[in-house]
Amino acid sequence: MSIVLPLDEEQRDALQELLNISMGQAANSLAQLIETKIDISIPKISAVTPTQLYSLLFETEDSFYTRQSFLGDVHGEVMSVLSRAGLTEVATLMDYDDPLSKEDIQEIILELCNILAGACLAGLSDQLELTTNLNMPTLFQPHKSNFDDLKWQHSLVMEVQFVIAISSFSMRVVFCLDDESLARMKATLDELLA
Amino acid sequence: MFEQLVGKLPVGIGIVDESFNVVYLNDFFLDRLPHELRKNYKETPVTDLFHGQGKFLKRRLKSVFVLQHPSFSYWEQRPHIFPFKSSRPITGEETQMYQNMEILPVKDKATGQRYACIFLQDVTAQASYFRAQQKLSEALKKEHDAQKKLIRKLDTAQSQLIQAEKMASTGQLAAGIAHEINNPIGFVNANLNTLGQYASHLISICDGVYSHLESFNDELSEQIEALYQSNHYDLVKEDITELIEESTDGLTRVKDIVENLKNFSLENSEGVQTVDIFTVCNQLITLISAQYSTPQYKFDCEREKVEVMGNPGPLKQALMNVMINAAQAIDTKGVIKLSVQESGDQVIIKILDSGCGIPAQHLKRVFEPFFTTKPEGQGQGLGLSVAYTAIEQHQGKISISSKEAKGTVVEISIPKQPSNVTGVSPENDSDPSDTVPEGA
Repeated sequence: MSIVLPLDEEQRDALQELLNISMGQAANSLAQLIETKIDISIPKISAVTPTQLYSLLFETEDSFYTRQSFLGDVHGEVMSVLSRAGLTEVATLMDYDDPLSKEDIQEIILELCNILAGACLAGLSDQLELTTNLNMPTLFQPHKSNFDDLKWQHSLVMEVQFVIAISSFSMRVVFCLDDESLARMKATLDELLA
Repeated sequence: MFEQLVGKLPVGIGIVDESFNVVYLNDFFLDRLPHELRKNYKETPVTDLFHGQGKFLKRRLKSVFVLQHPSFSYWEQRPHIFPFKSSRPITGEETQMYQNMEILPVKDKATGQRYACIFLQDVTAQASYFRAQQKLSEALKKEHDAQKKLIRKLDTAQSQLIQAEKMASTGQLAAGIAHEINNPIGFVNANLNTLGQYASHLISICDGVYSHLESFNDELSEQIEALYQSNHYDLVKEDITELIEESTDGLTRVKDIVENLKNFSLENSEGVQTVDIFTVCNQLITLISAQYSTPQYKFDCEREKVEVMGNPGPLKQALMNVMINAAQAIDTKGVIKLSVQESGDQVIIKILDSGCGIPAQHLKRVFEPFFTTKPEGQGQGLGLSVAYTAIEQHQGKISISSKEAKGTVVEISIPKQPSNVTGVSPENDSDPSDTVPEGA
């Protein structure tokens, strides 16, 4: 089964460019806060089925997972995968004291994805002139949820990766949009391209 | 009107400027501020007003100002950011307020000044409910696990009981069969003796004829000679005595085994009487060595009669079970040494084997009923527990020490004259040692 990307070539390029800019802003924000250099990957845009989404996100070993929903002009969810490795160094950069308690670790994870996902989303919605409000992030245990039971067939996902230069820490942020939001996004992109 | 509304909202709302100085606090915060500070809280750093998680609060405020992006904190990770008491100081269980916090960046449209708005939610009720739920579910899980364990234990116990019951009836069957075998063995033995005599008579006759061979005429003596030759007389003569002797030996062994089997499975209800440990041990070695021929058996006893007062059935059963364990511990080569000593009014029986030994973690459980390391269906885990009960009945002691791959020593000491032996009255017929023949 071939999956037809719901965006055409032009729309995709535009979105990728916008995403690139907002990611840069996000990385900058975090870099400013923890005073260290952050590398970013080229954003990937694709359409996935629930099963594909599951393997895209949760087949990484030794990671933490979070999810965070956003509302406003577009609705969707941001899911993040954070590596366990290197988290201690990041915690030190974020001014946490060693040793880290379980609660400290949870707090750091939630804060990290709040910052990065928030910055990405804020940047993207700014450029698309859409309003979005991010809700609280929560920890996610994908093995407890059944992705096969999800109601949707395809979703547009935008995937970006951040790597903190001085440690082995890396984090992937995946944005998923619902159908209605996708239509709105496409319309907005078309307006921009016109 | 809006100011009033914001003031009365059931969430904490506080606004701080970029140097973290307080610009506004709603009633939620003010109510919890010390009295003397309520009038002039403005322009004071928020961390000076509320001594709690100052470092954390500053960090989060900084992040909000730098990133211009909201920040969240949950009670699960950081329950008490502001040092507030629970909203129910009298009846509540929680003494400190559980808080969720959200900090939002805000901007004064007129001046362009940046602020951070702190929302504080009292989630003490949810938190205590959640924690109670969690405790409950933990307790439930624990109980569930314990029950599961118990059910498993019951299952094995049941199957082992069935097995034990089978073994008991097998034991009775064996005793019955032993009794039945005794009769044919009796006449076979008698016949064999007669047969031996007859054989020697026949040989004398043949020898007699042969020695008078020259008295016959040539034709006849040749015929007799041919007859002897064709029937391999020399071979028959040489072999027949040996065959009969061997058969007698074999039969004696069968008799011994059957006798011992009878002794060990039938003598259950005789009550207290004099038991000669020396004889018992000898019987035991005969019986066990017939079944387990690999180990080398040694018996060491100072005197040829060591008498104790006891219940022979259980006592023999106990020794038998220990001996069987010893024999089964030896795989290819090894020694089992049985020694009996008298020490004052006690008799000490030591059973030593050079077998595989018992791992330390199992050692303290070997006397537990149904504890076994054998594959299912091969052992009931009753042998030593039966032995233990029997020895206890005789006010004796049984102890075990073992080293893996070296061997095991079981030491049993019983008083020669126990003051009161239990387990002999009829109502104790259901004692496990009565119904369980063997097995460890």
